[in-house]
Order: sequence, then structure tokens, then C-alpha cells
Amino acid sequence: MVNVQNVTFSYNRRTELLSNLSLKLEAGRIHGLLGKNGEGKSTLLKLISGLDFPKAGSIDTLGFNPIKRNPAMLQEIFFLPEELPQLTLSIENYEKVYAPFYPKFNSEQFNGYLKEFDIDNKKSMLNKLSHGQKKKVFVAFGLATNTKLLLMDEPTNGLDIPSKGQFRRMVASAIDENRCLIISTHQVHDLDSLIDSITVMEKHEIVFNQPIEEITKKLFFRVADRNDKDETVIYSEDTLRGLYQVCENKTGEESKLDIELLFNAILTEKNKIVKLF
Amino acid sequence: MNTTLDINRLGLLLKRYFIENKQRELTFWGITTVVFTLMHLAGPQEKSISVEMFLYISGFIFAARTFKIFNYTPGGMHYLLIPATHFEKLTTAVLLSTFYYFAMILITYTIGTTLGTTIGNFFFESNNPIVFTLFYSHADIYSNSHSLLNKFIFFAEIQSVFILGSIYFKGNVIGKTWLTMTALGIIIAIIQISLMKILWGDMHFAETFNYQTGHLLGSNIKVLVYLLIPFFWVVSYFRLKEKQV
Repeated sequence: MVNVQNVTFSYNRRTELLSNLSLKLEAGRIHGLLGKNGEGKSTLLKLISGLDFPKAGSIDTLGFNPIKRNPAMLQEIFFLPEELPQLTLSIENYEKVYAPFYPKFNSEQFNGYLKEFDIDNKKSMLNKLSHGQKKKVFVAFGLATNTKLLLMDEPTNGLDIPSKGQFRRMVASAIDENRCLIISTHQVHDLDSLIDSITVMEKHEIVFNQPIEEITKKLFFRVADRNDKDETVIYSEDTLRGLYQVCENKTGEESKLDIELLFNAILTEKNKIVKLF
Repeated sequence: MNTTLDINRLGLLLKRYFIENKQRELTFWGITTVVFTLMHLAGPQEKSISVEMFLYISGFIFAARTFKIFNYTPGGMHYLLIPATHFEKLTTAVLLSTFYYFAMILITYTIGTTLGTTIGNFFFESNNPIVFTLFYSHADIYSNSHSLLNKFIFFAEIQSVFILGSIYFKGNVIGKTWLTMTALGIIIAIIQISLMKILWGDMHFAETFNYQTGHLLGSNIKVLVYLLIPFFWVVSYFRLKEKQV
């Protein structure tokens, strides 16, 4: 679905934002793109959608070269940016104007998602809504476009606590084997139990890209006693509730993935973790 | 799927413009009609120049706003991701800022002139005829004909420059486009003078630049001016194609 090969990108000549980056993303999955600020997560999403052009390397998005911005590709992509555009349109008119550009747009679905987000009045003007409300409208619209590729940059920023749960439910129900969702985020807790593949960027490179089932097969997550000494421990965090540990899974026992712990473990013990995969 | 020009998508882009700008359009053309009405209250004096100035000045302000959306990154991202080709997006911009704008000026001018003259006749108890001077052809001091078609071509020329300016520059498009045009004009003038010096030597220009050569140069420049319109559109197209946000 998305194939990024040896891509290099920079906004100016001095500093490279992405360096020789390669990544393959499959359909039917929700990919979590994690990384610290300024690592190039949003830029990668822009490159995939054709908003920015790579300086070197190649990108294949849905079988198209994204820099051509072919309408056949664009009608199968929906990009939810972190900062939303200022449009002086009502929700109703937004649907009237933009829905015809997406052949698989489903108006009933859109209304259903809006209802789930408690947005009843489609006559509300988008520029008069709060950031969170506006985000809900765009999330609902994006899911209702039924595009093959959905790109979301920090989708839960600005959403209140109940809306984050609604967002998870909606996304989980909207993704099927033909669709691919890439979520770039810092709010890993918001996406716990939603993401089924994790990609970590560090120092402008992809350092980790694995599906959840592979991660839980190779790694074991646990809360251990401070006196407990185990050779399989790769990374641990001391908290009030004990030691949160990432261990090598030697027994094949299943454990619940802690994305934040895994992310910190990758940043601290990158070599040890990468070696296991 | 047609990947160059699809009439359906072009229609959707035009519909998008009118729905998004409905309020602004209604207000602006309402005010324009009132301005033309007021201008014609006192009778059918020569108003063509004022109307032409209004057309050109308001026109380039409108054209300079064509790709204003790129001044704000989320807006630019949203625009570039609309599933339509760059050609369709540019065609929409040209249709709106050149053909639609000119047509709307003619319509509001016709309404304004009719209303202004009729109201003027009623209140001032006069009997002035309704005269649409903008539609008439007149000659300037160099005997160049100023027909409605010529006025449109000159208008299209200005609009094409400012469409390019609006996609090329970020912020203060009008100022930057004027400055660039002035700089280019000076460079072209220097090249022209240098060429004339090479061709005719160091003789004084008054002796060499007579009526015939002036007329010959004038005709060639006119052709060049006509060719510049599609040239600026093509440059705008490539600029839009390579636009990154």
C-alpha cells in the first residue's frame, strides 16, 4: 500500500530531516508512527501524500508516485492534519462541496459518526467550532470517505476524554482489510489497544517497524518487584507501583503491550531490541 | 480516469469556490453595482476611464488572492489534496479571475448604468440616454483602438501576471508582483536600448526611432503581449505542480 525506499528529505541544504529512510506499510492495519518532536513524523505523512517531494529515493503510494498528485490517488487518500484549515463553511456545505470528490463517500456513515460525536447541528459553521469539535467533524468526514489510505497527524489532540474513546471505537470499526490507517502521535495511551503495528522514528530514521503480534511474541511486558532480578530484562522504569519492565520473551507467554514503555525502551536500548527482530 | 481535465471535477471546483465565497461574492458585486449606479446618477458623461480603472485595479486585487490559501499551511495542504488535477485547479483560477470577473464587471456595469441613469433622470428631472461607454471602441493618442476585446485582453494580461504572483510569492503579493514587474520592465528596456544601439549605432534615438519603426515595434510588442497571457498561465501551472507545503 505504501512503500518508501531510501528517502532523503530536507527543508534546507544544511539539515537533513529524513535520511535514507525505508518503510513498507500494508493494508488492513492501523500503523502507529511514534517519535519525539521534530523527528519528521508529519513530514513523512506529507511525503506519502505528495504534499512534499523527496530529495532522493522513491515513494509508492497506492501504486502511484505521490509527487504527481494524481486525482485517482488523491481520491483514495484522506489526510487529517494536526492543524486544521480555516473554512468559512457549515458542516452541511462542507459535505456538499467535498464529498463528491470522494467516490466512496457515505453520507449515512458521516451522519452516524457525527451523531456518535454528539454533533447534531450540521448547520454549524466550521470556523465557529472549537478545535476539538472541528477535529471531530474532520475525523467523521475522513472515515466516511472510505478511502484506502487514511493519514492522521495527532488525531486525538484537542479531543476530550469521552471523545477519545469514541474515536478509538469509530476507527476500529471503520478499518477493514482494504484500508490502511497511519496515525502519527505523541499520545500513545490514547491509541493503546487500537494500533496493530508500531513504527518508531529516531534521529530521522525508522529504527523499529513491527506488528503487535510480533512484538508480543518477542518481548514480554511486566510489573516486577524491585528485588526481582532477571537476566531477560532489557529495559525497566522505576515507578511507585514497581518496576515496569520490557523483557525478552523466552517462554512465548503473551503479555499486554505497553506502547509508552516500548517506545522508551527502543530509544534507550535500541540495539538490544532491534537484535531480537 | 481522465488525469488531465475532467469537466465534472472542474464543475466541482467551481461549485466549491461559489459555496465557500458566497457571502463575499454577494457583498462585493452588490457594492460594485451601487458604485456604478452612483457614478451614472449625474448623466452619461465619459465614465469609461473610471470604469476601466476600477476593472483593472479591483481585478488584480482579486487575482492576487487566487492562491492566498498557500499563505496558511493547513489551507494549502487542504487545497493540494483536493482530488483534482493541477490543470483543473489552475483552469478554475483562470476562469474565475479572468472570464468570470470580467463578465461580472460587465453585468454590474450594465445594471449600474441603467439604474443610475434612470434614477438620475427621475430625481434631477433630466432626460439623459442610457449609454454604455465601456462597450464602445475609442482611440488613444497613438490611434490604438480600445475595443471591448482589447480591454479584455489587457485585463487578461494583468490577471495572468497576478495569478502567477499569487502562487509565486507568500504574503504581500500585490507589492512583490509590482516590484518584480517594474524590475523586469527596466531590464527589458535596457536590453531594448542596447539592441537599438547595436543595430543603429550611436545615432540619436529621435532620428532612428521614427513613426514607421515605432509602429513596427508596436505591432510586434502587441503580439508579444498576447503571447504573454498563456505564457504566464503555463508558468503558473508548473509552479502549482511543484508547490510543496
